[in-house]
Amino acid sequence: MNRLLLTAFGLALAALQVEASDPFSKTADEVNTRTVKLFGSGGFRGVANYGTGVLVSPDGHILTLASQMLDTSELIVHLYDGRRMKAVVVATEPELDVALLKIKVEGKKPDEPTGLDLPFFDIAAVAKRPVSTPGDWVLAHANEFEIAMRDEPVSVQRGVIASYSKLSGRKGIFDFGFTGNVYVVDAITNNPGAGGGALTDRQGRLLGLVGRELRNSLTETWINYAVPIGATVEVRDGDKVTSVSIPEFVASATAGKYKSRPRTVATAGPGGYHGIVFVPNVLERTPPYVEECEPNSPAAKAGLKPNDLVSFVDGEPVGSIKAFTDALRKTRPGATIRLEVRRGDSLQTVEVKLEDAPKPAAVPPKK
Amino acid sequence: MNALRTLVALTAALAFPSWSQAQDVNDASEKAMKAAMLRVAPFVAKIETAGGQEVVGGGGAPGPGGPQAGVRKGVGPTTGLVVAADGYVISSSFNFANKPTDIFVSVPGKPRLVAKVIATDQTRMLTLLKVDLKGLAVPVAVPKAEIRVGPWSLALGRALDTDLKDVPALSVSVGIVSATGRIYGKAIQSDAKVSPVNYGGPLAAIDGRVYGVLVPASPRGETETAGVEWYDSGIGFAVPLEDVYAVLPKLMAGQNLKRGLMGITAKVQEDTYNLPALIGAVSRASAAEKAGILAGDTVTMIDGKPVANFSQVQHALGPKYSGDVLTVQVLRAGKEVEFKGVTLTEAVTSFAAPFLGILPMRDDPDPGVEVRYVYPKSPADAAGLKPGDRLMKLTPEGVPAEQAAPIAGREALIGMMNLLAAGTEVKFAVKRKDGGKPETVTLKLGTPTDDLAAKLPLPSSAGRALEAPRAEKPKGKAVGPLKPADEEKPAAKDDKKKDEPETGLLQRSNPTLGREYWVYVPANYSKDVAHGVIVWLHRARPIAKEGDDLAKIFGQFCADHHFILVGPKSRNAEGWVPSETEEVVGDLRAVMAEYTVDKRRVVAHGMGVGGQMAFYLGFNARDLIRGVAVTGSVLGTQPKEPVPGQPLAFFIVGGEQDPLVKEIAEAKPRLTEKKYPVVYRQLKEFGKEYLLDTTLEELKAWLDSLDKI
Repeated sequence: MNRLLLTAFGLALAALQVEASDPFSKTADEVNTRTVKLFGSGGFRGVANYGTGVLVSPDGHILTLASQMLDTSELIVHLYDGRRMKAVVVATEPELDVALLKIKVEGKKPDEPTGLDLPFFDIAAVAKRPVSTPGDWVLAHANEFEIAMRDEPVSVQRGVIASYSKLSGRKGIFDFGFTGNVYVVDAITNNPGAGGGALTDRQGRLLGLVGRELRNSLTETWINYAVPIGATVEVRDGDKVTSVSIPEFVASATAGKYKSRPRTVATAGPGGYHGIVFVPNVLERTPPYVEECEPNSPAAKAGLKPNDLVSFVDGEPVGSIKAFTDALRKTRPGATIRLEVRRGDSLQTVEVKLEDAPKPAAVPPKK
Repeated sequence: MNALRTLVALTAALAFPSWSQAQDVNDASEKAMKAAMLRVAPFVAKIETAGGQEVVGGGGAPGPGGPQAGVRKGVGPTTGLVVAADGYVISSSFNFANKPTDIFVSVPGKPRLVAKVIATDQTRMLTLLKVDLKGLAVPVAVPKAEIRVGPWSLALGRALDTDLKDVPALSVSVGIVSATGRIYGKAIQSDAKVSPVNYGGPLAAIDGRVYGVLVPASPRGETETAGVEWYDSGIGFAVPLEDVYAVLPKLMAGQNLKRGLMGITAKVQEDTYNLPALIGAVSRASAAEKAGILAGDTVTMIDGKPVANFSQVQHALGPKYSGDVLTVQVLRAGKEVEFKGVTLTEAVTSFAAPFLGILPMRDDPDPGVEVRYVYPKSPADAAGLKPGDRLMKLTPEGVPAEQAAPIAGREALIGMMNLLAAGTEVKFAVKRKDGGKPETVTLKLGTPTDDLAAKLPLPSSAGRALEAPRAEKPKGKAVGPLKPADEEKPAAKDDKKKDEPETGLLQRSNPTLGREYWVYVPANYSKDVAHGVIVWLHRARPIAKEGDDLAKIFGQFCADHHFILVGPKSRNAEGWVPSETEEVVGDLRAVMAEYTVDKRRVVAHGMGVGGQMAFYLGFNARDLIRGVAVTGSVLGTQPKEPVPGQPLAFFIVGGEQDPLVKEIAEAKPRLTEKKYPVVYRQLKEFGKEYLLDTTLEELKAWLDSLDKI
């Protein structure tokens, strides 16, 4: 009896060890069936010709990053079960930094149902879930470094949500169009080929798409981030500014209705007129000290004084004259900006109503 | 049957909880981490700055020991930790390394305020800020005694914080405490991702207390950017908060904290692990000297803790500040002697060796020192000393004439001079070259200049290196303060049975250590003449036949002025790493064991990266290297303090066409500040090539004058 009890105890302990590792493996398996390995153009000068995507319809629609890897007519997809198929780009949205692909099946036209009946993530449902917050445990599933081929499962990394934060908007990022909040991940996830992979919670629920390899100039460090599925950005269509979210993009593109647009280059002018004359900009980061205000200018009316240090524009720090000028480019005449100004040892808030730039004084014509 | 039922029940009872337990472990960990974040969040301040530089630290090219290229400083916010109720916030000095003109601090729940820098802890690279706030809550420190490897540790920062409602405005990286007592006892280590994202923020325990303040740190550098290259690598450091609180009153009083130095140097520097902590030198006016600790003592205990070797001494002293008072026990002549009240000093006051203005004749065992050359405008010149004169006795100021110390030879004279300061008046008993009665010459010792003699007279050696120096017997017993120094016999095989060793360009290898190097010995080598050694440290990768090139450049000089060239090879093709010092020293020792070597003229020489290794070698093999000659090399390491009896001279060349010339030139003030003799030459129209003829001649003159007195 005693021996039996001991055996039972031993069995139970063994079970405990097995079970303790089980939740992640179940999640990994489920997510893997919804993840694809992508192969496209590139392969030179450090640009990977492989990547990752997630299935978003049973018909073989794939959501991935809008990377240069997609610039090919020969896009290859490896499914979780080892099937190798071709795919085409249906639509891209540079502002969201995502693209929608569709698997091609021999003998079917692109707009016909493929009849594949694949496991997939329901993007509309995913987007309704609340945002994950710092400290949430997460898993990243992606084919980084092209380790998996055909039916080999993609790599899984464990980490936590480090932050839900903006990378740009403070002009912090090189070559990064996405201006919304991203999930910063506390794991080295953003490796070659990982872009477009799935960031999930411990239960395998999709949170975001693993992003690019990116150096964040706010901190001058390489950053690991994922674009949240709920992300919404403003897009400019001609003169019209509308917003688009990933679920809207996926729904519209799946229906074949999304109009892809090229990346809009930020074409901001000098912005509204403020009338501040700064000290000479001679250093790498000359602090924006006010030298004087042009008479009757918005700055003068707002009461800015010589030696004031303009420190924040609408809450965002401007550590240099260049940062101030960049921040002002986004403004228009008529807008009111809130400046925090260091005067002596205190910070004062000053509101400046920007105006149209004054016309240059008429120069009397030469006779 | 009964038993079976019990078994089923038991299995069920145990197995089911185990499944849910597995879920719960992860859930519970996640919840506990978030709870910890909530508890610590009120103490974590956001720091924003204006102005400052783009690139900080470094000094250009990569090199051993130092920070690599300059570090770009991000434009975003950084992090600080509230440490006192009335608005004091501590942060990592890294966050201010770019010298911003203005600093703003936002403590959670309070408005953004202008902050002032109050003080800096230069040993732990922490900066204390103050804002005008009162009644702030401060974090509880985890006592150091409680800190073990293993528990969760959360690295929290504000650089990329979250603006979601009901969520602490923090970024988090999760790891464990992965080591304690790091960086000479100053830091604990975590495998959480520590980077500019959270430098200055807390490393928090799962219970909401704080282990320490996150900083970049490196055991091989002391600048504010040292260790940044390890960001996000799983190697992260935090200064224990307990230590921060201990020095907070001083910092709050505006006192900048500096490292406390004792002023002792190991006798054997390449092995600080296996040998007892035998003191080789005690710096003048240092804590050790004031306490009465002498060279030759072996340190056995510091503050009641036994120390078995010099490495343990370093670890015991590493966390100490200037002004800290220690009790040191040493072994002297078989007896334990205790010194109480050893007060560490900020910097060991650097003394320039006094300068007489002569070059001595070498390898001369006869009593006294023959003058080989007199530097123009030097004290010796002013006092009318001439080449060929022989200095027989030395009497410093205030010492009665009858206590005049006989000079046994060059080493003895150098030893005596080390005990004197510049400005001291001394009297020499001189035997003139043209005979006659001994005269007394009075002169005031000066400080060395960077004048290099255009042409040094030959011969430089009396050719009797293997004979022991003979002093005139002192009359009476006392010899005043100038006791004859330890005689340093030239290292040589003094058995006459062996033939003269090989000469020419020789390839050497040590198969056991996997070392390969070349040696160039001039054809006129004689073991009766002590030779200087030039250790040539190649550039990034070893170059085949480099020995031939150097032998071509230096061959005639080596023959005339008695030098041997040694060319060690780096372990890997990418160039030198600091840990190779030991192996290079091994090569050098092998050469010194085989040939008669003048220990006053052993020089590390290199260009570019090789020169950086030369700097490193110079500072880390102090008992061997007497000079460092570099061209186109940046001083990547923090210069160490000068050590009496182990002089180190520098010869630095920078080319104006070299983009790194500014950084190269910086070495001169940094070394001069430490009172090292430095010759710096900057050449126009010169980039990264090896030396031009003019500087090469100067280098040769410098090499041959390393034993100037």
